[in-house]
Amino acid sequence: MNILETKGLYHDFNRLEVLFDVNLKVKEGERHAIIGPNGAGKTTLFNVITGTYAPSRGAVFFKGEVVTGAKPHRMVRLGMGRSFQITSTFNRLTAFQNIRMGVLSRRGIRFNFFRKVDKMEDITRETDEILKRINLYGERNMPASALSYGKHRSLEISMALATDPDVVMLDEPTAGMSKDETRYAVELIRKLTEGKTAVIIEHDMDVVFSLADHITVLHLGTILASGPPDKIRKNKAVKDAYLGEMEG
Amino acid sequence: MDATTAMYVAQGIHGLAYGMVLFLVASGLTLIFGMMGILNVAHTAFFMLSAYFCYQVVAWTGSFWLALLLAPIATAIVGILVERFLLRRIHAFGLLFELTLTIGVMFVIMEAVKVFWGTENLPLPVPSLLEGLVSIGGMDYPIYRLFIIGLSLVILGFLAFILYKTRMGMVVRAAVSDADMVNALGINVPRLFMFVFGVGTWLAGLAGVAIAPILTVFPGLADQMGMDAFIVVIVGGFGSLGGALMVAIISGLLSSYGVQFVSQLAPVLMFIFMAVVLAIKPTGFFGEREG
Amino acid sequence: MTRRVKGIVGGVILVILALYPWLFGIYFTNVIVTCAIFALFAVSYNLLLGYTGLFSFGHAMFFGAGGYATALALTHIEGCPLLVALLFGFLGAVALALLLSPIVARLAHSAFAMLHLAFSMLLYTLALKLRGITGGEDGIGGFPIPPFRIPGVVSVDMTDPLNFYYFAMAVLCGSLWVAWFLTKTPFGQIIVSVRDNDKRVDYMGFKVPQTKAIIYTLSCGFAGIAGSIYAMFQNLISAAALGIAQSFAPIVMTMVGGVISFFGPIWGAVIFAVIEELTTRYTERVQLVEGLILIIVILFFPGGFIHIVAIVKGKLLGFTRGKGAGLIKGKWFGK
Repeated sequence: MNILETKGLYHDFNRLEVLFDVNLKVKEGERHAIIGPNGAGKTTLFNVITGTYAPSRGAVFFKGEVVTGAKPHRMVRLGMGRSFQITSTFNRLTAFQNIRMGVLSRRGIRFNFFRKVDKMEDITRETDEILKRINLYGERNMPASALSYGKHRSLEISMALATDPDVVMLDEPTAGMSKDETRYAVELIRKLTEGKTAVIIEHDMDVVFSLADHITVLHLGTILASGPPDKIRKNKAVKDAYLGEMEG
Repeated sequence: MDATTAMYVAQGIHGLAYGMVLFLVASGLTLIFGMMGILNVAHTAFFMLSAYFCYQVVAWTGSFWLALLLAPIATAIVGILVERFLLRRIHAFGLLFELTLTIGVMFVIMEAVKVFWGTENLPLPVPSLLEGLVSIGGMDYPIYRLFIIGLSLVILGFLAFILYKTRMGMVVRAAVSDADMVNALGINVPRLFMFVFGVGTWLAGLAGVAIAPILTVFPGLADQMGMDAFIVVIVGGFGSLGGALMVAIISGLLSSYGVQFVSQLAPVLMFIFMAVVLAIKPTGFFGEREG
Repeated sequence: MTRRVKGIVGGVILVILALYPWLFGIYFTNVIVTCAIFALFAVSYNLLLGYTGLFSFGHAMFFGAGGYATALALTHIEGCPLLVALLFGFLGAVALALLLSPIVARLAHSAFAMLHLAFSMLLYTLALKLRGITGGEDGIGGFPIPPFRIPGVVSVDMTDPLNFYYFAMAVLCGSLWVAWFLTKTPFGQIIVSVRDNDKRVDYMGFKVPQTKAIIYTLSCGFAGIAGSIYAMFQNLISAAALGIAQSFAPIVMTMVGGVISFFGPIWGAVIFAVIEELTTRYTERVQLVEGLILIIVILFFPGGFIHIVAIVKGKLLGFTRGKGAGLIKGKWFGK
């Protein structure tokens, strides 16, 4: 069953078409990579799916429901998490508080005015567990802005997962990371997305081929090819348009 | 021309003159905002300071014309000093601190003026050359108001020339529409900021001198003008000179005709106008950036 | 500070406030009440600025709305009880906030600040012009201050300055405690997240405009309580209470006290009360001193008095006990 699907998705900015008849199918439980050259419309596709803006035409289905144009907070409540290419954390809050936002959200604790959040022990415990899993427990009380780049990126990715989504959308999770940091991040993503569906935009082909069960190639705003990694590797059109220049 | 028409025309001249002075103040404010992102709360204090400088120059030399030249320059120098030694130091901390710093500067200028010149109204005579009325086509016009309109038009032309015909102006316009671009262009940003702040306060200074003979010089000058100028900038759209010009003229006419027809409501008219515009378009007429 | 030390400090402050009229005489209670009114006003403001990242130029309109609502209730309602008058003040400000919140909750940055400047100027002008209701420049004064009464239990005369001192301080300190508690709740976490990164808050599953509207309304309600007590305390409310100068007061107090902390604005109110007491003895130019202090603090200690204390202590206290200076820099509102 396709947990996430787009049908005939179009999007344009001031009549400049960025997405052109995109039909994306993401199966439940798979790690689905979206690759493509810069300007292919990958982040725009993410933005349309996660609710940053509504598509010009077409529909988005999530868990069999039409969610076209639903706002981000609604998508999150339906079970979708998202991380950003440009790190977007709560910079004056500690790593702990950043993750706790996700935990609070998942528990539906929003407009609670009558209890101190620090006194909610189960929330604290759950948050600490996540921090331990992502190796940030040592930096628990550091403001996000004071974290090292690699740790900050880990936090960014983990915030998307703290709401315990069924589908997590990761926009270039390893952007700007060193080789070591990337290797670590890949392991982290593998661990955290266990049993979940993940859609990942990625430029690093090593990361793509080591993580993904399924690859979709986006080129000039439309899907060039979609299939398992082996098939994509051999696909002629993909090689011509994209992979060839990357590897050759 | 009958008496009613004459009255309308006279009110129009009054409104236009006030509107043009408003434009001078507002243009400086909107330039500084567009360029630096700073809402210069002290702007009207500079306006008032210049009126006092003008009074002082006239008191020393007896020449209004010398005051018209010197007072705005002196005001601009104060403005440049504020930018160079106060605002620039905390630029790295962000907008909030720059904005609140200008509140401090406003307090200091408003109070310093009282320390040096007292709190009374200081009358400033209209220069003899511009006294009285001039008769055109059987209508009498107050010369000084016509002079203000003319002066403002000259300044408007001068601004337009700088902005559209010089390199500096192009950089400023680029920065107003896209602040990041200036950095990309490899421009000396601190110097540009200083220049813009100087020009902005100079414009406020000119307006201060222009209005002084009409309203006299007193500490409340800033309040009276300030609200109107801020409204002009808000409604016109932050960073938009065209918007400032349009709304300033509307505002001037609205207040002068408003007094004529609905004197009780006149002060509220502008606010109603503003509320309507903002409810529809929160960034003002020509505002694009929320900054 | 540990829990225990905090408790002791709080207890000592309460005891001092309770014994104050006997220690320093009834005259100086005026200073304390005024200071506490502005402390609540500034704290309510900082709920918007420091906590939610919303910069307003017109917070005085809610202070004024509270004051006018209370004054009008006491003038026109025969035998209006004290607490009902206070409730009127709170609700007056809340009503105004609810009226504005659909517009302002979707705004941020300068548009938010400016719209408040604009609306507060509108209200100021209306307060001057609608003489029949507001008394114009003279304002509304001389209304009766009813006793604090619980039927069949007590009736305390509120025209006695000593009694009023206790009443005002109880209301103001109680409100401050509620505001403080609010910042500690999960909702308090959400608003600081909105301040730091409102876009991400949406992506964490929270509704940003609704969150802003709620904290906005609550903040304005607190300002209304401050205004209400102010009106009863002065037995007068005039247009100046919602003028632009009145809107600058909480901004200046917050910045001088410290925007990074809940207690910063309270310190700011205390500092300005002291400055006023001291400088009025020598000069009329109080604002000159205040302006200079504001400039000096922003230039050298952008985190305000709290920042200075932290430097003195050798470590910074902030929201998070982290690296303090870094917390002051960066985006507070706008880009």
